[in-house]
Amino acid sequence: MNAPIIDPLQGDFPEVIEEYLHHGVTKCIAFNRRGTLLAAGCTDGSCVIWDFETRGVAKELRDKDCIAAITSICWSKYGHRILVSSADKSLILWDVASGEKITRITLHHTPLLARLHPGSSTPSLCLTCPLSSAPMIVDFNTGNTTVLPVTVSEVDSGPAPPSRNKPSDGPPYTPTAACFNKFGDLVYVGNSKGEILIIDHKSIQVHAMVPTPAGAVIKNIVFSRDGQYLLTNSNDRTIRIYENLLPLKDGLTALGDLNKTVDEVAGVEKMKAVGSKCLALFREFQDTITKVHWKAPCFSGDGEWLIGGSASKGEHKIYIWDRVGHLVKILEGPKEALIDLAWHPVHPIIVSVSLTGMVYVWAKDHTENWSAFAPDFKELEENEEYVEREDEFDLIPEAEKVKESDINEDGDVDIVTVEKDAFSDSDMSQEELCFLPANPCPDVPEQQDKCVGSSSKLMGSNNSGSPLSEEAGQNGQAMNHASSPLEEDTGGTRMKRKRKPSEKGLELQAEKGRKPLKSSGRLSKTRSKPVADRDISNGIYGDDISD
Amino acid sequence: MASSGSQQPPPYKPYRHIRTLRAHERAVSCVKFSNDGTLLASASLDKTLILWSSPDFSLVHRLIGHSDGVSDLAWSSDSHYICSASDDRTLRIWDARAPFDCLKILKGHSDIVFCVNFNPQSNLIVSGSFDETIRIWEVKTGKGVRVIRAHSMPVTSVHFNRDGSLIVSGSHDGSCKIWEASSGTCLKTLIDDKNPAVSFVKFSPNGKFILVATLDSTLKLWNYSTGKFLKIYSGHTNKVYCITSTFSVTNGKYIVSGSEDKCVYLWDLQQKTMVQKLESHTDTVISVTCHPTENKIASAGLDGDRSIRIWHQD
Repeated sequence: MNAPIIDPLQGDFPEVIEEYLHHGVTKCIAFNRRGTLLAAGCTDGSCVIWDFETRGVAKELRDKDCIAAITSICWSKYGHRILVSSADKSLILWDVASGEKITRITLHHTPLLARLHPGSSTPSLCLTCPLSSAPMIVDFNTGNTTVLPVTVSEVDSGPAPPSRNKPSDGPPYTPTAACFNKFGDLVYVGNSKGEILIIDHKSIQVHAMVPTPAGAVIKNIVFSRDGQYLLTNSNDRTIRIYENLLPLKDGLTALGDLNKTVDEVAGVEKMKAVGSKCLALFREFQDTITKVHWKAPCFSGDGEWLIGGSASKGEHKIYIWDRVGHLVKILEGPKEALIDLAWHPVHPIIVSVSLTGMVYVWAKDHTENWSAFAPDFKELEENEEYVEREDEFDLIPEAEKVKESDINEDGDVDIVTVEKDAFSDSDMSQEELCFLPANPCPDVPEQQDKCVGSSSKLMGSNNSGSPLSEEAGQNGQAMNHASSPLEEDTGGTRMKRKRKPSEKGLELQAEKGRKPLKSSGRLSKTRSKPVADRDISNGIYGDDISD
Repeated sequence: MASSGSQQPPPYKPYRHIRTLRAHERAVSCVKFSNDGTLLASASLDKTLILWSSPDFSLVHRLIGHSDGVSDLAWSSDSHYICSASDDRTLRIWDARAPFDCLKILKGHSDIVFCVNFNPQSNLIVSGSFDETIRIWEVKTGKGVRVIRAHSMPVTSVHFNRDGSLIVSGSHDGSCKIWEASSGTCLKTLIDDKNPAVSFVKFSPNGKFILVATLDSTLKLWNYSTGKFLKIYSGHTNKVYCITSTFSVTNGKYIVSGSEDKCVYLWDLQQKTMVQKLESHTDTVISVTCHPTENKIASAGLDGDRSIRIWHQD
């Protein structure tokens, strides 16, 4: 709809830190399907849902039983549920709209990664990768866990017996990575030998195996949003992209067909043969100079770009490649290690989490397109010599100056039809949860003494969203102060004495404690100023600014 | 309904005046039906807003709190909240359900706040003011999210598009500007040759077109991506006040607008012909609103009239 007027020449990847979000110490993040909400898991076991449009906290999910750090967070397909895995060995499933816990399952090992089945809006299955066990499928309805095979040799002895609630015995595993494919009928496991196994999780059968070159331990395995590409992050400091050759829907049946057509003797060789028809190595990415390990690699929403964070401590570097393999940008943030990364599903925005628990939002640097202000002007890349027309400066009598109206005024105008938006899958039968209702937190009637008392409380809490998000709307006491930084802002605008600080800048200033008392004074001043004196008001604001 | 010209549109049934609501003590500045059609809200220079129930139009509640006249109001998408813009330089968010509290006061503008609107997700409010800026506020906390130095004269009208990604603003300086809501950057400026002051702007229901009212008694429908206007509607009088107009889509497509000659005008959207002139008010009709589902129009009159009149089409 607005695509025609947005300049297509601006690059499609972010460049600078636009903002930071701070609410508790964040460990992991996930966007919902449309990128309107960002869920963040914190070290205190709570999960914060940010309204990404307002950059304020929309909801907090807190369970009194779970106080251990969240290790991973995942949305259900249409945004109704969130699954978190926590360091106290549990998985919790939340209902987003109500903020209620649906179920909590305790495992035998700490789950490092948990992913809900992507096929339905209220999934009952999830995939989890525990710290010292093979990945397993957990069923919420029955509480059963099914361990998935991680090596092909297991399959030789027949399908692994469905192990219900069996803790893994044997040598401790290096954590194995796994993910669902787009519709959740297959699980792709990346094991410690550098092999990708394609497993049917219902029958717990490995159908195919793809060995990665160099055979290094696979740390992450992730699909792109459209399911066409798969990336693996290996211990040999390389990210590899594979093209998915299986059809997106009914991947399982296609796999079954392939099994029949490949006429190798059953066993590892057959697995490899089938595997070669499922995934094709597309590109490899590495930094040959610094040979850095990668952390949290993922695709952009449209699959055109790939990002990977540098796993070196002490630096916050995000590498952006295009899918073909060219490194297009390296984003550098403050000197804190990077622990999680996500690309917004729609916009060219990246969100990164640093070791300190701060969430950074990277976006494109906004340069004003000057022709937006003067529609008759066209921006030029370089100087053009202007050749005037023969009769350009002739003085013509008025009659000919009438501009011919070349508008087709008779055409019918359609004001109600809306184009189908690029997001809806053909199988979307249910309402998607895009937004959480924004209910304004009630103000408390203003009183001057209350201002001073509660202001330090407001300024002390250091975050970008609603300052009192913990109270979640019960106590709107200091809300009137939310507006006081803006009073200075207004003054700044009128007087142009100093560069107008951003909202964030004002809050940071205010935290230093100088402002609160002054601002309460300002409140009383502006209140008593009669509206009649509007002309002089410039001067008044100007005085107030001089600190 | 749009393309085939061979079908004859059903004959036009005229609107009839069915009710007059008198409860304001000064000029009524704005009327709006809620999105669920159960309430009608009206704002007035007597510093209050009144909630009327629909369809019986009994007075439900009077919202008191502003210290000066109210120029504009907006409903949230779920019809639970109302935001009002006032000459006392603040905006207030009211609960449209009992006990009808004033939930938040949004301060920041340095001059009269003239226009206000919610975004479709209703987590943001945009307001335009005589201080020539547009401000975007977060509904939940009441904090100002952004200030846009938009125009060189008072901003008369602001509106979000259908998905909340764009804001259109009109101003007395004669320009309409389109802004990207998330970053506050200007994407387009629409300015006509003669640049008469723009008194009202609004997106069409599908967000592709803008309806622009200018103080030379003209209404134009622009396609903002090409920067050209497609339709002109005239015949009414609009030289002084910021009269609101709207689209009527419940039974055929019409443009409805108030006028300084005390009438409400309806034009056929495609043909641009005036189909009806509703006469009853005794002063300028400053605001009109269409019910979301029924064929009803509510209109408001200035000081010489102080009433809200309801019109119904059979």
